[in-house]
Amino acid sequence: MKTGFFKQYSRQLIAAAVILVICIVLAILKPAKEELMSHTSPEMQKMIEADASSSRKRVTVTYNDLFIINYASLSTSGAKVMSEKYVGFVGRVYPADEGVMKVTGQMVNYTYRMLGCRENLMHGAKLTILLTTLTVIFGVVLGTLLALAKISKKKLLSGAAGVYIFFFRGTPLLIQLFVVYFTVPGVFGFAWRDLFSASDTEAVYKGAFLAALIAFGLNSGAYCAEIVRSAIQSIDKGQFEAAKALGMNYFQTMTRIIIPQSVRRMIPNVSNEFIMVLKDASLVFAISLMDITTVSKNIMTSEGSYLVFIPALVIYLVITAFFGFIFDKIEKKFSVYE
Amino acid sequence: MSDNYEYILKTEHVSKRFGTLEVLKDINLEVKKGEVICIIGPSGAGKSTFLRSLNQLEKITSGKIFIKDELFLHRENDHTVERLPREKQQELLLEMGMVFQRFNLFPHKTVLQNVCEAPVIVRKEKKDEVEKRARDLLSKVGLSEKADEYPSRLSGGQQQRVAIARALAMNPEIMLFDEPTSALDPELVGDVLQVMKELAQTGMTMLCVTHEMGFAREVADRVLFMADGIIAEQGTPEQIFTNPQAERTKNFLNAILEA
Repeated sequence: MKTGFFKQYSRQLIAAAVILVICIVLAILKPAKEELMSHTSPEMQKMIEADASSSRKRVTVTYNDLFIINYASLSTSGAKVMSEKYVGFVGRVYPADEGVMKVTGQMVNYTYRMLGCRENLMHGAKLTILLTTLTVIFGVVLGTLLALAKISKKKLLSGAAGVYIFFFRGTPLLIQLFVVYFTVPGVFGFAWRDLFSASDTEAVYKGAFLAALIAFGLNSGAYCAEIVRSAIQSIDKGQFEAAKALGMNYFQTMTRIIIPQSVRRMIPNVSNEFIMVLKDASLVFAISLMDITTVSKNIMTSEGSYLVFIPALVIYLVITAFFGFIFDKIEKKFSVYE
Repeated sequence: MSDNYEYILKTEHVSKRFGTLEVLKDINLEVKKGEVICIIGPSGAGKSTFLRSLNQLEKITSGKIFIKDELFLHRENDHTVERLPREKQQELLLEMGMVFQRFNLFPHKTVLQNVCEAPVIVRKEKKDEVEKRARDLLSKVGLSEKADEYPSRLSGGQQQRVAIARALAMNPEIMLFDEPTSALDPELVGDVLQVMKELAQTGMTMLCVTHEMGFAREVADRVLFMADGIIAEQGTPEQIFTNPQAERTKNFLNAILEA
């Protein structure tokens, strides 16, 4: 199994290893933070020293470390406005106040913010990945139950599942999100943030995250139901008969025979669904969650930088490629018997 | 379960309709313990449907099915009149093992897992005991070295022998064979028939729907000839094959022998 895996993905693995080695080399060659700071003008250094012994800070220091490249921006406010920016890359420090290095510095800064590097899970790419993963897990579990209901011989059960699927596939996800986030608390008289402790400064974000997870999960459940249903119905009828002839009941037949066989057939479609959800997750900008899209939009609005969307796209692509690879690997793992 | 019964399996007036198509018409059959019965006949005669009705893969339209002299199921006009309580019903159904034309092995489980699955899950037997028995059965069908292979790596004949071992692992008293060799390449038929022959010699009660006339002639205690949903003729292999009475039987056997 292990050797098979290496053989199967030898090209991708070699490419990944080469990239990793290059990154490590670049990371080692990257100048340290102190080196970046020592390039600042004497005037700025004096102010930083003065700040160290004063309670009133005059210099705002932004330092972004992206493993292979780093970026420092120092700016002052008050009587004398100064701004200095530096990019450190492969053993050298470049001033980044204009030209290519300015753009490079901005890209490092934007990427850093969109990834939510120093933030908690409620920010940037971490939020996007967390929300997407939980949504798809929620969706697959719910979808399996809905699929079993839909193919059930009980008319009420299959009818209810059919209505559910029809509703969630037939209305816009954004409005479903609004209904969960605004309408539901409005009708039932609660607020999402109140579900978390009042002292929690992130309660608003956590509340919105929960609402988004519920809305996306319910929606994804409807799509996953169709994925699971078609996978189950693609299993040969003889499998049901063999299980029945051996005395297995419905539950045993489903959990031990049918669903394990359907899983492999579901994976390509679930992978697809994952990518759809990853992109749909950008809709959380409408309820002010700080995901990749919201952060990029905020940077665009506050700094007028129209280039911010390029690193945003790259981040999405990298996430998609990574999870695509993972799903591919899972599919192969489930295919051993074929 | 008492062993004092006259017939291990009995049907009275069993009929089955698919829509307007009458597949089984008033089938009466009595099977004694240890009997080997081969059911032959043209396709569409209802042979498979009859076999599948016995272990409830098909719901009969009307008629009575007795297992070990107990009324297992009584239906009239597509409604159940009487049947055993669910648990008892399950217990009696487990007395019947079934082998399918298309094997229907579980592809995601190895050969050994295929054989062990039901005894562990359904009969709640201890895993290591079942495994020991499963390995015995696999060696009986000549496949001990394939225990850890997945079914897709086996030939059709090997798969069918695994399917027989899988059914036998539940310790059934009756084995139902639904055209077990029809999906096999001709050179693979022999191994499967050999296993079935050995099984018959152990005293297993068997009902085989088959097109293998040689097998029926050699192994069967009784041969049923089915046509158009009825048992057109039945008797010992000699009676049926050397001296058939009904016109349908004669035509069928002539057609087969000419081919």
